[in-house]
Amino acid sequence: MTTKLGQYLVAALVILTLNFLLPRLMPGSPLRFLVGEEVDLLPPEGVRALMAQYGLDRPLWEQFLKYLGQLIRGDLGHSYREGKPVAKVLGERLPWTLLLTGTALVASTALGLVLGAWAAWRHGCPFEVMTLSFFVLLAALPSFFVGMLLIAFFSVRLRWFPILGAQTSWGNFTGWAYALDVLRHLALPTITLILSTTPGVFLVARAAMLGVLGEDYIRTARSKGLRESRVLFVHALRNGLIPVATMFMIQLGLVASGATVVETVFGYPGLGRLLYEAVSRRDYPLMQGGFLLITAGVLLANLGADVLYCLLDPRVRRV
Amino acid sequence: MKIIGWAKRRSAGLAGLVILGVVAGIASLPLAPYDPHARVGAPFQPPSGRHWLGTNDIGQDIFSEVVYGARTSLVTGVLSAALALALGLAVGGTAGYAGGAFDAFLMRTVDVVLAVPFLPLVIVLAAYVGPSRTNVILVFGTLGWARPARVLRSQVLVVRNLPFVEAARALGASSAHIFRRHLFPAVFPLAIAQFVNLASSAILIESSLAFLGLGDPTLKSWGTMLYYAYMRGAFLTGAWWWVVPPGALIAASVLGFALLGYTLEKDPRS
Repeated sequence: MTTKLGQYLVAALVILTLNFLLPRLMPGSPLRFLVGEEVDLLPPEGVRALMAQYGLDRPLWEQFLKYLGQLIRGDLGHSYREGKPVAKVLGERLPWTLLLTGTALVASTALGLVLGAWAAWRHGCPFEVMTLSFFVLLAALPSFFVGMLLIAFFSVRLRWFPILGAQTSWGNFTGWAYALDVLRHLALPTITLILSTTPGVFLVARAAMLGVLGEDYIRTARSKGLRESRVLFVHALRNGLIPVATMFMIQLGLVASGATVVETVFGYPGLGRLLYEAVSRRDYPLMQGGFLLITAGVLLANLGADVLYCLLDPRVRRV
Repeated sequence: MKIIGWAKRRSAGLAGLVILGVVAGIASLPLAPYDPHARVGAPFQPPSGRHWLGTNDIGQDIFSEVVYGARTSLVTGVLSAALALALGLAVGGTAGYAGGAFDAFLMRTVDVVLAVPFLPLVIVLAAYVGPSRTNVILVFGTLGWARPARVLRSQVLVVRNLPFVEAARALGASSAHIFRRHLFPAVFPLAIAQFVNLASSAILIESSLAFLGLGDPTLKSWGTMLYYAYMRGAFLTGAWWWVVPPGALIAASVLGFALLGYTLEKDPRS
């Protein structure tokens, strides 16, 4: 567990260093990335004054310490397009991403697990062939393409769901009406994200269950005359779950990556969309902050999954 | 009976090959009827005899765009995969062969790279280095090596301790000789499978980057087509002929590579 913890700390440190070094190592003045591309129009004295103000004339290690100090105080710099501190913008966006990715993560893990176990149980039957082909095909579809098709069909043709956003602008809904409005906006992005992240869980769960179902103790359980559902869900699924728990780490990364694209397609005001907006408007402080928060979230959730894994599988605890 | 069994085992791979063959056929030059950058018709025309897949918002022929896009996507995918595989092979091979602290260090590095969400990192790097095909390939290569490195390392570990390799070492063969004559041939089939899987994910990543506006603006690609289709609201106005062909072709090539990779991984001798 301590080695795992150390590993995540190293990963976090690498990301911090990357975030610090990239704007300073790229060709051209780092001010372009920290203040905005307008610095190119400034006279040389102005540039020098700004360099001094941002401490860019100091040695690199001194800058790095200052950067870390600012981070600890929650100072992520100033977004020059939004005209607000980066931390404030991130705070506004975070709840929407948590809502979207949280829902999709739970749903896709549960769906992939149940269908994968079921497909393994029906090994060689049409059900397995059908679900397997469906998920293999689904895994190849880019999520932005799926999102566009869903919008074209469900929002434009059927008019069941709104086209974009997380709530109706100037809707002024309260109470249940507000909750319904938020849910209607959440539906299509969540379905898209679920569709793009379930195949991975399904494939791992199916393979793991196929392995478990061939074990001796499963045959023993069957020959004892236990009901098939009991064998599957009580005996087999418990051990089949373990590889899926390790899969969770990959799954988190996939959901975070998927959310970037899906939020962009649906104009959903989360961190992924923020990353896209920051990149397309060349708002580098905002981009760095968004990337840092996404990565920190994924690393923290990974750590949580590892702790859970230890509780699930006593064999791991000793390692 | 033997043939049926063979066909069944290989059917996924064969299907993948057929799909890739069709995509490569589309990519071949003589098929494009127009210059994809030229305005050759009225905007937003549905498919017709003159324009097989209609035209886009500024009157470019979509079929010609798709043909040129196929070339961009396949070349970018294959080159990115080649770079990532080369790095993965170098890291995995030396780590597995050297063992000890060096191996442990490299494998922890792999863990760190795999723990970071891939697409956001790719986006950030691409935003700094700027949108061009070379940069997309470099970014994918420098981040995509971790998974093949881990897979190839475990294969090297297995082969390294086989009797004939030990015998070669006992006879005084150099490390370079053992790599060239014994380790590389043993790892090669698995490396091919990894390459095909990498190509599959590289095409998906390239199209995602292009869709987010980080693709090479001078090249026609399926991702940039969908980027413009999205920006100009093609899917809101019912211009399906602009959205469906590039999307379906991305899916087809990703699927083709994935099916092939699956078969090669399961049965490396095929």
